[in-house]
Amino acid sequence: MNSLPCSPGVDFKKLSLMEALDLAVTVEEEARDRYVELADALSIAHTPEASEFFRKMARMEEKHRVALLTKRRASFGDRPSTVGRLQIFDIEAPDYDTVRVFMTVRQALEVALQSERKARAFFKAALAETTDLEARFLFAELVAEESDHEAYVLAELARQATDPWGDPPGDPADYSDEPVSQ
Amino acid sequence: MDTATTTCGATATPKDYSSALKPIWCPGCGDYGVLQALYRALAAIGRPPHEIAFISGIGCSSRIPGYTTAYGFNSVHGRALPIAQGVKLANPDLQVIVAGGDGDGFSIGGGHVAHAVRRNLDLTYLVMDNQVYGLTKGQLSPTSPKGLATVTSPLGSLEEPINPLLYTLAYGAGFVAQGTPAEMPGLTALIEQAIRYPGFAFVNIQSPCVTFGQEEQQMRAHKAHLRPLASLGHDPSDQLRALDLARSYGKELHTGVLYRNPNPPPTYDALVRERQRALAPEAKDRSRLLDVFLQK
Repeated sequence: MNSLPCSPGVDFKKLSLMEALDLAVTVEEEARDRYVELADALSIAHTPEASEFFRKMARMEEKHRVALLTKRRASFGDRPSTVGRLQIFDIEAPDYDTVRVFMTVRQALEVALQSERKARAFFKAALAETTDLEARFLFAELVAEESDHEAYVLAELARQATDPWGDPPGDPADYSDEPVSQ
Repeated sequence: MDTATTTCGATATPKDYSSALKPIWCPGCGDYGVLQALYRALAAIGRPPHEIAFISGIGCSSRIPGYTTAYGFNSVHGRALPIAQGVKLANPDLQVIVAGGDGDGFSIGGGHVAHAVRRNLDLTYLVMDNQVYGLTKGQLSPTSPKGLATVTSPLGSLEEPINPLLYTLAYGAGFVAQGTPAEMPGLTALIEQAIRYPGFAFVNIQSPCVTFGQEEQQMRAHKAHLRPLASLGHDPSDQLRALDLARSYGKELHTGVLYRNPNPPPTYDALVRERQRALAPEAKDRSRLLDVFLQK
């Protein structure tokens, strides 16, 4: 079986267009849910700006998921999905350890950038493994879309750099990450 | 890497096990990944939430029962295992999962581990080992490495840490494994295998404390230093080799199943049921129970 490490059980050699669409929808769903989860954690931990940025990313992933689902329904109707959440692990979803209390928007943008790059690398690897022509077209499209998302995040990062109110690069100096006596 | 035994076709989804309560762990905490792996393992097994009970003690990781839709009891410090044993004996049909931290399990509750192992009830014990007391703001825990400076050991700890893998293996646990949320597919598969093991199953999960943990114990370090047991060609039925590998706890990050008894003995709960069945014909009517103790 030709599966990738973060998608155990998915055989890319045999993947059809419908299965590829199911995989892509699930990847976007996982990313959306993770962004919401991270936004909630940051919101509870008094880090509202980064939290709000992750909510924005969650909306973007949801938009992408709906677009893929619409395409899937148009071609294959309501046939049950062939890919479940048990088969994919953090393909586009940011890793849990990438966030910190009091992280800045710039740091949140860098997390999103890594995630978009991670997703692009995954779809690129999938493209290399897949033999079905239609599925290959879909993966090529997804590689391009993830590149667009990456460009959006890079533009936001550049805007931050020129914004006098933007976050400085690196770790903010106004909090302690060492144990402190209570 | 071990893979989950059930994937496609499972009717349950990880969301079925996730409650509406939002975790309040520090952003970046390892326990988020553990919880996600747990939801996935439960979905792979597919038992409905009302057939599962989570029992925990006190600590950051002991909040897990609240984050699931299963039955849950966030009990008292160090007493998760005795309570879980009671729950399992009262209702053997429940899938009982015990969760807690290294302090809860190997300090105040340390004495209970040996008895839970030797009784061999069908329990799954998940310890989120972060080598520090995180909830109470960074004191020395039983698995803290020697020399660690904390608020309660400002000049560095003088004690050797407890080795949870060696501890449970030495008492004869039938299933002992170690995982990390830095490797989610492997951790999910380990939790699933532990739950499926018919007997006491122990999983030591290296779950970093992002606020009080050391840099070398964070997920980035885990990702860099992972040593999957499968890549070493380890045979999980080899108990002696498992004991040998367990000795490197704190030095090497071995992940995977260290030991799985290939011939699991009957569980304590099964033996109790057997005895209850054997004694049933001579059992006294409940209304006459006091007659056993009162002399006429």
